[in-house]
Amino acid sequence: MSAVANHARKSWVLLHVGNRRFALPAESVIELAPPVRLHNFPHTSQLIAGVIVRRGRIVPVYDVAPILCGRESSVHRFYLIADRAFGVGTDASEASAIPVNGECELANSEMQPRDENAPLYFAGTLAIENENIDVLDLQKLVSSGGDNPSAASPAEARP
Amino acid sequence: MKIATPDAAKSRRSRSSEAVILFRIGVQTFAIAADAVQEIRSTDSLATAAIEMELAEVPKVRHLIERGHRTYYVVSGCAHFGLRVTRPTLVLILRQIRTAVLVDSIERMADVSRVHALPQAFQGAERQWYRGLTYLEDRVIPVIKPDGFLTSQEFARLDRAAKSIEPRHEFEGAVQA
Repeated sequence: MSAVANHARKSWVLLHVGNRRFALPAESVIELAPPVRLHNFPHTSQLIAGVIVRRGRIVPVYDVAPILCGRESSVHRFYLIADRAFGVGTDASEASAIPVNGECELANSEMQPRDENAPLYFAGTLAIENENIDVLDLQKLVSSGGDNPSAASPAEARP
Repeated sequence: MKIATPDAAKSRRSRSSEAVILFRIGVQTFAIAADAVQEIRSTDSLATAAIEMELAEVPKVRHLIERGHRTYYVVSGCAHFGLRVTRPTLVLILRQIRTAVLVDSIERMADVSRVHALPQAFQGAERQWYRGLTYLEDRVIPVIKPDGFLTSQEFARLDRAAKSIEPRHEFEGAVQA
């Protein structure tokens, strides 16, 4: 079964990044976390804004707004925590956070294939309330930092 | 039923926690296992003992010091972590590794009960820099990997450069004497 068919008629979490709505498969979403403290330390990994602590776990925060909206989002009120799959295997996923503005909702819809010109980090689209909402492939999205000129330079440590 | 003696409780505590030194470089706090540090000296006290060296391939090392017949390479903490340049006042001389690290200040010692693995999201040089992360008093603090300051290739380059410095240094010493 294709990934598209597999995701058909499923539940989706709709989230706001910048002024756009995106969707994530509901089964990958762990929680919507309140605006807890963002901790930072030097590193050279792209897109990582820092880490937050949730339920005794240290969760990396990906600032995906520059990729999705082309600029930093000024409205970061909450963190949507979802599983990022690193590959095949039981230990190959990690809780990962995306800053969102807090307005998340659950929707049931059938995912349509993505436009062939769309970036690879979109898995497909949902037609909801006369709006086409792109479904995010979190793994591809956060791996695509190097393809985006606005993402942080890997050569410069982010304190 | 056994009643825990104070010694047993102490032993349990020491097994489950680790003593670390919290130090600062710029505004950033780091932790390093206390038993990984042999000595902490002020930069002033080592100024006369430090020998200047400059190697384009390893710009974070600009001095070496001789301690107990061993050559230690002095790594700038700012340069290593890509932080804004500050004026370091202390040198952490590491145990078993021929590295000394310039830092700004020592915050204090602390016992940490857990070192979390660095999330897989971090895929850059930080995987060499840190053993993991610890959560201490509402702060996430990176725990340094003592052997992460210099790679074996960097040690080899520095050793070659140091060898060329030694005769010059001995000659200068002889002239001064």
